[in-house]
Amino acid sequence: MQRREALRNFALLAGGGLLSGTTISILNSCNLSAPKSNGQLFSDEEQMIITELADVIIPATSSPGAKAAGVGEFITMMLNDCYPEDVQKDFAAGLEGFSASVKKQYSKDFLSLSSQDKIAAVTQLSNKTIADQKAGDKDPNAKKSKHFFPIARDLTILGYFTSEIGATQAMAYVAVPGRYDGSADMKPGQKAWAPDSGWGTDNALKS
Amino acid sequence: MNLNTEADKQNTYDAIVIGSGISGGWAAKELTEKGMKVLMLERGQNIEHIKDYTKATLAPWQLKHRNNLTEEQRKAHPVQSRDYPYQEANETWWVNDIECPYTEIKPFDWFRGYHVGGRSLMWGRQSYRFSDINFEDNLKDGHGVDWPVRYKEVAPWYDYAETFAGVNGQAENWPTLPDGKFLPPMELNFIEKTVKQHVEEHYKRTRIITIGRSANLTQDHNGRTQCQYRDRCSRGCPFGAYFSTQSATLPAAVKTGNLTLRPFSIVNHIIYDKDSKKATGVFVIDAETNKTMEFYAKIIFVNASTLGTAFILLNSTSPEFPNGLGNNESGRVGRNLMDHHFRCGARGESDDFQDKYVYGRRPNGVYVPRYQNIGGDKRDFLRGFGYQGGGGRGNMGGLEKVAEYAFGADFKEAIGTPGKWSMSLGGFGEMLPNFDNRVYIDNSKKDKWGQPVLAVDCTYGDNEAKMRKAMMDDAAEMLEIAGLKNVSTFDAGCTPGMAIHEMGTACMGNDPKTSVLNKWNQLHEVKNVFVTDGSFMNSTACQNPSLTYMAFTARACDYAVNELKKQNI
Repeated sequence: MQRREALRNFALLAGGGLLSGTTISILNSCNLSAPKSNGQLFSDEEQMIITELADVIIPATSSPGAKAAGVGEFITMMLNDCYPEDVQKDFAAGLEGFSASVKKQYSKDFLSLSSQDKIAAVTQLSNKTIADQKAGDKDPNAKKSKHFFPIARDLTILGYFTSEIGATQAMAYVAVPGRYDGSADMKPGQKAWAPDSGWGTDNALKS
Repeated sequence: MNLNTEADKQNTYDAIVIGSGISGGWAAKELTEKGMKVLMLERGQNIEHIKDYTKATLAPWQLKHRNNLTEEQRKAHPVQSRDYPYQEANETWWVNDIECPYTEIKPFDWFRGYHVGGRSLMWGRQSYRFSDINFEDNLKDGHGVDWPVRYKEVAPWYDYAETFAGVNGQAENWPTLPDGKFLPPMELNFIEKTVKQHVEEHYKRTRIITIGRSANLTQDHNGRTQCQYRDRCSRGCPFGAYFSTQSATLPAAVKTGNLTLRPFSIVNHIIYDKDSKKATGVFVIDAETNKTMEFYAKIIFVNASTLGTAFILLNSTSPEFPNGLGNNESGRVGRNLMDHHFRCGARGESDDFQDKYVYGRRPNGVYVPRYQNIGGDKRDFLRGFGYQGGGGRGNMGGLEKVAEYAFGADFKEAIGTPGKWSMSLGGFGEMLPNFDNRVYIDNSKKDKWGQPVLAVDCTYGDNEAKMRKAMMDDAAEMLEIAGLKNVSTFDAGCTPGMAIHEMGTACMGNDPKTSVLNKWNQLHEVKNVFVTDGSFMNSTACQNPSLTYMAFTARACDYAVNELKKQNI
C-alpha cells in the first residue's frame, strides 16, 4: 500500500498519468515477505542490460539520459531494498526472457544492438507486456513476465527525474523558492517543476 | 524515612504534563508561564529543534530511496506504512508497530509518533475554528453528549492560540467557520482563483472557496522565520516556519526556567489517593532501561493523544476506580471514539491558461467550509463536510495522449514540459459520535514493556456513507460549473484512523453520569486531573481539530492554576 502511495505521490507530483496501473496493482498487494538477503540480484551482464534499457526509456536528448544519471544501479538498489522477493524473482525472470528473445530475434545480445534496434526491441517488449497483461493470470508465463517492463520503466522514471541531472536539467528545480506565485507568467522554454519528494499539494492537507 | 522524603522531593513538581505533542506542549507553556514547576513526560526520544531535522535540507537525489520505504521499514511498521505519511524523509518519527501493538476489533489505522513534539512535527497544519453550529449539533440531533461550552466562551482562547501559533488565512465571515487572528493569507493560484470565482457566482455565495488556514508563517512571527515555500514540513522546518512543539511552545516553556522535560518516560498509570480524593502523581516506566519510578504533582494534565490518554485512564485502576480513573459514574472513558472520513471527491482539468504557471511549493491548499444542512441546504444525512484541495499544473505538455508504457525521447521531453492545469476537491466529513465506537484494555497482548494494549472497536456508519456520495457529487458539480473538463469522481475508501484525527474517549459535559470531563476539561471525579488532547472532543465537526485542542488547553490551564491558587484543588 505504502509503495503504491509513494509512487502514486510521485505520479501526482510529476503530473499524473506516468505510472502503470499494473505496477500499482502488484505493489498494492502489500506483500511483506523478506527481501533477498544481500545476495547479488543480477550478473554484471544483466546489470548492463538494465542500465541500457533505462537509457532507452529515458535517453539523452537536450539533457543527459538515464545512464548518465546512474539509473541502472538505482533500479537494482531499489529492487533489493524496497521490493519483496517474489517481485524480485519475477523481475529477474522477465529480464531473462527479454534477453533471450532479443538474442533469438537479432542473433546478438541487447547490448550489441544498434540504437535503432534497441528501440525496436523495447517497443516489442512494451507491446508484449500489454498483451501479457490482457492474458491476465491465465497464462503462467505471462503472469511472470508482465511485471518486468512496468517496474523497469517506473523505476527509470522515478530514478531519473529525482536525480540531480533529471531534476535540474530535464526539469526545473529550486531547493528554496522563498515565495509563492500562483499566477506566474510562463517563460520561454520553461521546464516543468521537478517533484521534491515532499508532500505534494494533493496530500499536504491532512493534520 | 529521610531518604524517602528526599526522593519524593526530587520527584515532586507543581504540575505534570503527560505528552509533548500539540496539546502537551501548550500545557507546558501555559503552566510554566504561570509560574508552575512543570515536569513534561514524553514516552519516546528527544528531537531537538533544527539540529535533529536531519533530512530537512536534502534534495530528492540525496534521499537514497527517493522517499520510498524499504521492506525492512515496512516490516517494522505494518500499520504506519498503510498510508503515505510515513516516508523515508521522516521515517524515524513513526512508532515501531511491533513494539507497540494494539488490537483491531475492526480495522483502525493508528498513525502515531513517539518522540518529543509528537505529531506536531508531522501534522498537516490546517487550523480551523469550530462554530456554534458545531457546538450545538449534538444537542440538536441527539447524537453524542451536548458540548458544555459554546463558541463565545472559546473564542478568546482561539484568539490567544492563533496569535501565538501563527495561523495564516483569509477572513470570510462564514457561519460555520469563524474568522480568526490571521497572518496574511497564502495565495490562491490561477486555476483556484478561476474555480472560486465561478463557484461563488453560481451559488450566489452560499458556497465559498477560500485559501486554507494553516499554521505556517506568512511573515516573521515571534522570532520565527516565515515560510520558504519548500513544502517539506513533515521533515521538520529549519526556519521554524510552522507551528510545532519544538518551534513554538517548547522554547516558550524552557525560557521560563520552570520546565523539566523527561523523554523515554512511559506513563503506565496515574496514582490515586483515596484519602485526598486526588491524583498524587504518575507511575512511569523508563522506555530505555525498563526501570520504574514515580513522580508527584498537585495537578496532572493528560495529553498523551486521544488513544494514549484513554489507555492511561483505563489502566489507572484502584479499589476506588476499578474501571479506570474518573470512570465510575459515566463509564464513558474509551467511548465515542471518532475520526473524520475523507479520501473521496472529484478532480478535473483545463486546457486554458497555458501562459500561466506557479512558482514555489505552497504547503497549503484551498478550503471549502461546510455549507450543507445550513440555511436552505437540506440533505439526507446529518451535519456535513468541508473540502480541502488544490490546483496546479502537471506535465506531459506537447503530448495529446500518453501511450500505454510510452518511453523514449518524446516521452522524456513531455515529462519535462508543463501540461494542463488541474484541480481536485477532497471531502473531509464529520463522523457522528456513537457510544458503541470504543477502546478498551486488551490484557491478552503485551507491548515491549509488558503493558497490556488497547483494543479498538470503531466503524463508520450509514450517515458517513450517505455523506460520501454527496462529497463526490457536489465536488464534481462545482468543478463542472467552473468549466473544468474531464471531471471525474473518486472514492479511495477510508478506515477510521486514516484521517489521523482521532477524537473522543473522554467527552465533556455538565452531567457526571454521561460525561468524563466537566466544561473545564477537568475529570468530574478527580478534580486535579485535566484532559486537553483530542480525547475531550464531543463531536468532530468537519474541521481539522488541532487548533481547538490548543484553545481548550490554554483555557484549562488558566482555570487549573486559578483553582489551585484558590485551593479548590
